[in-house]
Amino acid sequence: MSNHATHITPDQSVFTRLSSVATPGVTAGILVAALIVMPFLLGGSWTFTLGLCFANSIGVLAVSLLVRYGGEVSIGHTFFTALGAYSIGVLDARFGISLWASVPLALLLGVTFGILFAWPSRNLHGIYLAVTTLALALAVPEMINNFDILTGGYEGLYVATPFIPGMSMGMQRYYFALVMLVIVCFAVARLRLSRQGMALLLAKTHPAAADAFGTRRVWARISIMGISGGIGALCGAALAFSGSTVSPGGFTFWQAIFLLVGSVVSFYGLSLPRVLLGGAFVTLVPQLLSASGAWIPVFYGLALLGMILLGHYMPRIRKAMSRISEVS
Amino acid sequence: MSFWDSLIYDLFPLIWSGTITGCLYALGALGLVMIFKCSKVVNFSHGNVAGLTAFLVYGLSSGVLMSLSWGAAVLLAMLAAVAIAFLIYSIISPVVFESDLTSTIATLGFGLIAQGITLLVFGADIVALDLPIPRFAMSVLGLLVTGYDLTVLVVAIATIGALFIVIDYTKLGIAFRAISENPFAAEVCGLNLKSVHYFAWITAAILGVIGALLIVPTTFLSVTTVATFMLQAFAAAVIGGFASLPGALIGGILVGVMMNLFTFYVSPEYSSTFLLGAILVALNIFPNGILQKVGGTRV
Repeated sequence: MSNHATHITPDQSVFTRLSSVATPGVTAGILVAALIVMPFLLGGSWTFTLGLCFANSIGVLAVSLLVRYGGEVSIGHTFFTALGAYSIGVLDARFGISLWASVPLALLLGVTFGILFAWPSRNLHGIYLAVTTLALALAVPEMINNFDILTGGYEGLYVATPFIPGMSMGMQRYYFALVMLVIVCFAVARLRLSRQGMALLLAKTHPAAADAFGTRRVWARISIMGISGGIGALCGAALAFSGSTVSPGGFTFWQAIFLLVGSVVSFYGLSLPRVLLGGAFVTLVPQLLSASGAWIPVFYGLALLGMILLGHYMPRIRKAMSRISEVS
Repeated sequence: MSFWDSLIYDLFPLIWSGTITGCLYALGALGLVMIFKCSKVVNFSHGNVAGLTAFLVYGLSSGVLMSLSWGAAVLLAMLAAVAIAFLIYSIISPVVFESDLTSTIATLGFGLIAQGITLLVFGADIVALDLPIPRFAMSVLGLLVTGYDLTVLVVAIATIGALFIVIDYTKLGIAFRAISENPFAAEVCGLNLKSVHYFAWITAAILGVIGALLIVPTTFLSVTTVATFMLQAFAAAVIGGFASLPGALIGGILVGVMMNLFTFYVSPEYSSTFLLGAILVALNIFPNGILQKVGGTRV
């Protein structure tokens, strides 16, 4: 049996890939069904927390997508979530416009700014993007507080206009985030199978081959940042609506790093269960450790390192295990 | 006449003090660039670790942990910085040779831990940490030069000078440059990549401690001050090209002067936004740093 594990023939690899496509679909379906009935089983506060989990999962997905398809790391995704959240918040609180108009606007703004930020570092090694996003994350709270006429400054904004009039607000906040998460996950799964997604992956893994096939690396870099920025803005939109308030406290530098930690904890997964794991980590850990605030960064740091080292040593351990079983 | 007055009374002092703080940003940036040049890792934990060691100096000299003399406290903090750098690199070194992206993310984890430890041990309070230097001020050509300015200048020049001498003339420095140029060829020639990486990480940590200790008297010491100081260092490194040590020095001074002019003439509230703008503009105009000719980009 051990030979099967070490030498994968082409046929087997196609088979495993097929089986891995089929099962995640089923698990995701079961998971979604379970999540749809959740509000009827849980109390109001848990429903609220789960809604936030879904919203944060979208943000984790945005960061993971950038790592997976772009090979780049962003520690400034709070910029995009803030962009999305404040487009919801400002349109709602200042102009009374509901989500039907503000969510598309958030998406548009996210994509546009993602492209704008990727542009200056289009030709360069990925670390330049990382450093730019570091500056971005540190600039976000400053911008929010200084545009207080629009954003409400420290006090923030309250999102109260219902998405579907007549439905209970608590349910709406929950289901809106869930639906957004499912849509985004589905779209990302389709992206993997699309021509664009393949081209992006090729440009990341084999740049020279991608050039030969006519995929420009600059295009790949910029478009993946645009997509990721757009998803980040949708995360912000879901956070604003599900969390009911938008305030600078949700878009600090640490929040940006926590999104990245969530992405690492889910092993940069793009499937619904993995993304939910990351989102739950980002949402629940601060709540569980809220009594001992200083332990939160330590815990996040340890989780980040633990996952990275696990990802590094796991294949080696597995190989050693199979070698031991081979001997015996 | 008033234009010249404002030039003499505002602009020159601003440029002077900007140069002084710029030297400190350069110290931070040099550490980042040294680490990046040889191990291709962007060390995001730099600021938080430097902040932790600055707090250690405070804790050891003020009686929070111990009441030692300032010099002994600095020495112990330096040792701690070296130990931390050694530990960080030892933990991530297997990952460094596999993926620079993953190891860059790992440094964020160390940054979080350093931040958390600082919070746990010293709390979120703001403390004052001064340098034991004589307080004097003199006027040179209309500029007010303080003892602090001179100390910073002397320490920065001495440190940076020593660094460049080590890199240019010692065997270790040659090994460092060889590995930065071509790690594979250097390894084939019998150089030990890891030991040179250790050298870079430890030197960077020491530079970070020196920078943090010198910057703290101008602000105050809190959990976030040194970390935000490092944003300036990152900006300096980017403007200098992230792979050039002289570039980092010039970038640091440029950032220091520009920040000073911006906060004085425009607004002190948008300093991070300004840095963001500066990074973006610099990446567009000099993609490989100010010392490189445009056109050599990797497309």
